[in-house]
Amino acid sequence: MDAALKRRLEARFGEGLQGPVRQRHDETEIRIAPAQVPDVLRTLHDDPDFHFQLLADLAGVDTGTAMQVVYHLWSTTTSDWLRVIADGLPREDPRVPSITFLWRGAEWMEREAYDMFGIIFEGNRDLRRIYMPADYTSFPLRKDFYLPDDAARSPGGGVRHMEQPQAPLAPGKTLVRRTRA
Amino acid sequence: MTTHASMDDPRVTLDEQLGSFEPIPPYPPRTEREHEFYTVADGEMLVNIGPHHPSTHGVLRVVMKLDGERVVDIDPVLGYLHRGVEKLCENADFHHTISYMDPLEYVSSLFCEWPAVMAYEKLLDIKVPRRAEYIRVLTGELNRISSHLLAMGFHALDLGGITPILYSFIERDEMVEMLASITGQRMLFNYFRIGGVNGDLNHEFMSRLGDWMGRATAQVEANQGLLNENEVFVRRNRGVGTIDSQTALKMCWTGPNLRATGVPFDIRRAHPYSVYPELDFDIPTRSEGDSLARYLLRIDEIKQSLRIIDQCLHQMPDGPVMAQVPRLMRPRPGRAFATVEGPRGQYSIYAVSDGTDQPFRFRIHDPSFLHLQSFTLLMPGQLLADWMTINASLDPIMGGIDK
Repeated sequence: MDAALKRRLEARFGEGLQGPVRQRHDETEIRIAPAQVPDVLRTLHDDPDFHFQLLADLAGVDTGTAMQVVYHLWSTTTSDWLRVIADGLPREDPRVPSITFLWRGAEWMEREAYDMFGIIFEGNRDLRRIYMPADYTSFPLRKDFYLPDDAARSPGGGVRHMEQPQAPLAPGKTLVRRTRA
Repeated sequence: MTTHASMDDPRVTLDEQLGSFEPIPPYPPRTEREHEFYTVADGEMLVNIGPHHPSTHGVLRVVMKLDGERVVDIDPVLGYLHRGVEKLCENADFHHTISYMDPLEYVSSLFCEWPAVMAYEKLLDIKVPRRAEYIRVLTGELNRISSHLLAMGFHALDLGGITPILYSFIERDEMVEMLASITGQRMLFNYFRIGGVNGDLNHEFMSRLGDWMGRATAQVEANQGLLNENEVFVRRNRGVGTIDSQTALKMCWTGPNLRATGVPFDIRRAHPYSVYPELDFDIPTRSEGDSLARYLLRIDEIKQSLRIIDQCLHQMPDGPVMAQVPRLMRPRPGRAFATVEGPRGQYSIYAVSDGTDQPFRFRIHDPSFLHLQSFTLLMPGQLLADWMTINASLDPIMGGIDK
C-alpha cells in the first residue's frame, strides 16, 4: 500500500471523490461520478505528480442495481495499481464519456464493454459490437442475462435449450432461414 | 432465387450458398468509422482474409481495403472464437474458473491461470508457500520459452519457411513433455491452484529439465541461425509495421511488442509479483519498433528466461507446495486486480467477490486484443503480403482475444 499516493489523491481531488480512497494489498481505489471521468483521468495522465501513462485495463461491471466502468492505471510514481471506478451509471441508459482521446487503445476495450454491457461511451468513434454479431440484441454480461444451464444455483437452472429435441414440423411446412438480413 | 436444403437440418432450406463473402455488410453502417471503411473510392477494393486462413493464428477475419497491392485501411472482425468465458466463470465456483482459463492463450496456458489464482489469493489473503512460488516461476518461464519458440517458428512459416517451425517444435516438444510429467497434460495444464500448485516437482521433470538445460542455449542459437542471417526473412521484416514508443503506449501495448519500441516496461520489474524481485535478469529492449525488432526481442527474452530457470533451480527452497486452503471458498466482498507478464504482455484479471463461492465479476484482460487493434495504424501503406509479417510479429492468439 502506498500511503503517499492516498494523500496526493485526497489533496488533488478532495471532495470530488465519491467516498474515501481505499487501499488493500497493492491496489488503491477511488470512486468518481461518470461525468468526471475525462477530467480526472486527464489529470492522472498529465499531472507530473501522478503521471499514470499506462491504461492497464478497462472493464464494465453490472452490480445488479447500477453499472460501473472500472479503469486500472499504472505509473512509475507509485508501487500501486490505481483503480478508478466510475460508479452509478443507470442500468436503463448507461452513458460515460470515452477516454479514447487519452489512450486510443481504449477504443476496443470500450467496444467490448458496450458489446457485453450496453454501456455507451460518448465520443468513441467506432462503438459497435465486437464479439457478438451485428444483429444481436442482448448484452450478455448483464446480471439479468441468465446462462441457460443446469448449474447448481443458476437462475436458468434446468434449461438446456441446446439439447431440447426438435418438434417435427407439420406436413408440407418448411422452415426458411434467411442468410441475408 | 435458388434454394437448397440445409445439410444440418433437413427441415431448413437456405436461400443462398453459405460461405461466400459479401464485401459490404447487409446492414447500414453503425458508426462513423464503419461508414468510412465501407465507403470504397474509385480504384479501391475490399478483400476478405479468413476466418479460416492459415496465417491468422486462429480464426481471425480481416477485411482490407486495397489500392492495387497497397493496403489503404483494415478492419479486423472478431468473435469467431467467442465462448463467453467471463460469463461462464461468473457462473462457476472459484476453483472451477481456473480450468476455464487454460484454453484462452492455449500456447501459454500457465500465464492465464496465474493472474486468476493471484487475484483469488488477494481476495482471500492467502500466503503462498515460497516453494510453490518458485515452481510457478520455473514452470512459467519454461512455458514462456515454448511460446516464444512457437512464435518464432510460425513467424517463419507465415513467410513461407517450413524448416524453423520443425526445429521449434523439437524444443517445444521437450518442454511440453517436461510440463506434462508434473501436470499430466501437454497443453492445457490446469496446474496452478489457489494457494499453490497441484503437485511438487518429480524425478522425471528434474531429469528431463537438467538434460535439456545442458543443450538449451546451443539449440536456441542454432535455431536462430536459420533465420537471423536469412536475407529473405530479414528483408521482409525490417522496417515493416514500425511503431514508435509514444504511439505504442497510447495503444496500450505491453510485453515484447512494447519493449521492441524501446520502452523497458516489464511487469516482472515494473510491478513485481511472486519471487521475481529475488531473481536476477535483464529486460531486453530494442529501439526500432519494427517486425524484425519484435522477432529478435523474443530471442533475447528466451535467453533471459533460461537465466531465470537456472536461478530457480539453485535457489528453490524445500517445503510445502500448497497453503492450507478450504475446499469451499467464500471470500469477503471485495475487489482484486492481479497481473502477470505473459509471453505476449500484460495478462490480468479483475475479480469481484460478493461473498458467495462464485466470482461476481470476472474480467479477463488479454494483451493480444490490444495489439491486434493496432493493425489500423500499422497496415496502411504496406503491401498485402506484409500483413502476414506484421500479424506473425505481433504474435496474437485468437483464443485469448475472442475469450
